Amino acid sequence: MSDTRVRNVGVDLQDANEENLRLVQAIVADNDGAQVTRMPGLVRVQVPSCMTIRRETVETHLGREWETPEFQLAIVSYFGHISTWEDDEIVIKWDH
Amino acid sequence: MARKLSMKQRYAALTRDLDWTPSYVDEEKLFPYTRFEGIKVNDWAAWEDPFRLTVDSYYKYQAEKDKRLYAVIDSFAQGQGHLSLSDASYINAMKLFIQGVTPIEYAANRHFSFLARHYNGPGPRFAALCQSVDELRHTQTEAHTLSAYNKYYGGFHSWPKQFDRVWYLSVPKSFIEDAMASGPFEYLIAVSFSFEYLLTNLLFVPFMSGASFNGDVPTMTFGFSAQSDESRHMTLGLEAIKFLLEQDEANVPIIQKWIDKWFWRGYRLVSLIAAMLDYMLPKKVMSWKESFELYFEEQMLEGLFKDLEFYGIRPPADVAVAIAEKEHYSHQAYWTLYQYSYAAGFTTTIPDAEHLDWLSAQYPDTFDKYYRPLWEKAAKIEADGGRFFNTGLPQLCQVCQLPMLFTEVDDPEVVAVRDTVFEGERYHFCSDGCARIFADEPEKYVQAWLPVHQILQGSCGGPTLPEVLAWYGFQDGDSGEYVGSADQIDWQQWHSDEPVRS
Amino acid sequence: MPVTALYPEYKYPSRSRQELYGDDILVHVGLRGNRLFAAPSTHRVPPAMTFAAFLTDIVTPWVSSDPELDPQGLRGWTLDGSAITPEDTATLADLGVGHKSLLTFEA
Ligand SMILES: [Fe+2]
Ligand SMILES: [Fe+2]
Ligand SMILES: [Zn+2]
Repeated sequence: MSDTRVRNVGVDLQDANEENLRLVQAIVADNDGAQVTRMPGLVRVQVPSCMTIRRETVETHLGREWETPEFQLAIVSYFGHISTWEDDEIVIKWDH
Repeated sequence: MARKLSMKQRYAALTRDLDWTPSYVDEEKLFPYTRFEGIKVNDWAAWEDPFRLTVDSYYKYQAEKDKRLYAVIDSFAQGQGHLSLSDASYINAMKLFIQGVTPIEYAANRHFSFLARHYNGPGPRFAALCQSVDELRHTQTEAHTLSAYNKYYGGFHSWPKQFDRVWYLSVPKSFIEDAMASGPFEYLIAVSFSFEYLLTNLLFVPFMSGASFNGDVPTMTFGFSAQSDESRHMTLGLEAIKFLLEQDEANVPIIQKWIDKWFWRGYRLVSLIAAMLDYMLPKKVMSWKESFELYFEEQMLEGLFKDLEFYGIRPPADVAVAIAEKEHYSHQAYWTLYQYSYAAGFTTTIPDAEHLDWLSAQYPDTFDKYYRPLWEKAAKIEADGGRFFNTGLPQLCQVCQLPMLFTEVDDPEVVAVRDTVFEGERYHFCSDGCARIFADEPEKYVQAWLPVHQILQGSCGGPTLPEVLAWYGFQDGDSGEYVGSADQIDWQQWHSDEPVRS
Repeated sequence: MPVTALYPEYKYPSRSRQELYGDDILVHVGLRGNRLFAAPSTHRVPPAMTFAAFLTDIVTPWVSSDPELDPQGLRGWTLDGSAITPEDTATLADLGVGHKSLLTFEA
């Protein structure tokens, strides 16, 4: 990377139901500097450099079991590179 | 019973363990299409699918997405939802969508199922298979959602036929067929990377947000439902490009050339989206310019391309032209649709005063100077009892097939024209980008089926305009001016009889 | 540069080649300095047509949908990028107008 400016990564989620709002809260809780913005039907969370979505934190916010593939029901789009999608966490970041 | 496998183990079991090495057929014969493009793959096993999708989880989540969508469609229909749209003119955007976008989804379904057979590696084959099923789902859900409007509005009835015939729909048709006529690697860079990763956010996100804002909940829902698959497709595009760049250094210049080409092809295609965003949504969410800055300049140029720099990839050639054009793009595209809408499957109209002011505010440097005067002139023609239509058939770009409607970057009053003579015949282009694409592969683009040239050849139903429009499958009320159209009259009728809503 | 194709001798004819139009040619006509018309337009004409007939039969009907434009005052003609001064009696062929040439003018 030639300049040192911090690049954001982020996800756009459907602003559809209570569960997605809790998902947003879980992401905010795990990622310092998370910024939440809204458009009709959509909620965007972006963070500097790297975003981690942890199963445990999401489960705490939802009050139920949650599998990381369920994230596919909420996500509309993202920017960055999905570098990890495991049972316990999803990590989105730029590689270089 | 065995301990539950992790996602990683399950994915490995599905892909690697169900694959085999051919013993009595050469690999080159088994996969005949993966060499001619000059791309070198040394290790197919290095392909990573971060989603680690397996058959059971794929169907589980897709079924859930469909269940949610169809519940919304049903309740919208039961609640007479078509009456609570912002305005009947909104529906024009949906007509353009089903005519121009849905057939691309179907073409993508066909081609990904071909690729699901033809990549050497099981990882990309399975990703292509899932995407093929996704794209069929998109085709079906879009048709189902929008068929609800077909009962009430013109213009929705013959979209698959129109995609093959109508002049402005040759823009998306030639785009996807150009990609399908490429090799399997170029197709990935064209569709998965350049279109899905770089550009679909511009198409789906603000547009579906617009649907939500304009009371079209089913469209918003199918849009977001399709887009949730899109994040997988974007990932396929990004994985594909990183994989190919890492495999062999010799791949880098080939990939760069494809990025240059397909960025430009895709960008020209989304001029129709620019027109929709700024002109066809009664309630606006964001302007083309704002959306281009956010989804392309910020996320792609500032984000992604900094990552790709590592591999020796630079931003697409002509990206500076696209940036300069953001001030003009939607205005020039919709101005064209406005004056040829007598031959379109939707209607157009002069933006009202509030809309013009919104455009001035969004485009302070260009709208009042270049475009408001055109609308004022159109309004004057209308005040004198006319309606401005351009009666000449437009000259088309040989590559993107749009009318030659774009202007020079340094002079928005001069139409940009590029031409070349190839084997004794003259060809015209709308831009340096399209001219360069032709120069690289002239043998491909001389075959373009240009709608205007075909009409004049007599292959579109007959020599007169009514014959051509009949061959296009247009019916009374599909085309022309919105004010006074069947859609507008019906809408007013429905709302005048209506009891006051609480 | 040639196409990178699956097989050698990838070669197909143009779908807009002149012979598909009988004795006619296609001519593109563009109006400079007037953005009312979003794009130049394409017409099928016989090359033996005189320039005067081209003006009355092709160009005038096209530009007349601009009520402020005087179809008598068309000037500043160019053919494929070079200025020309066409005589009314010259045919399009005499002027050097070929298949898919672009003529532009101002009003
Ligand atoms: Fe799709
Ligand atoms: Fe897709
Ligand atoms: Zn073009």
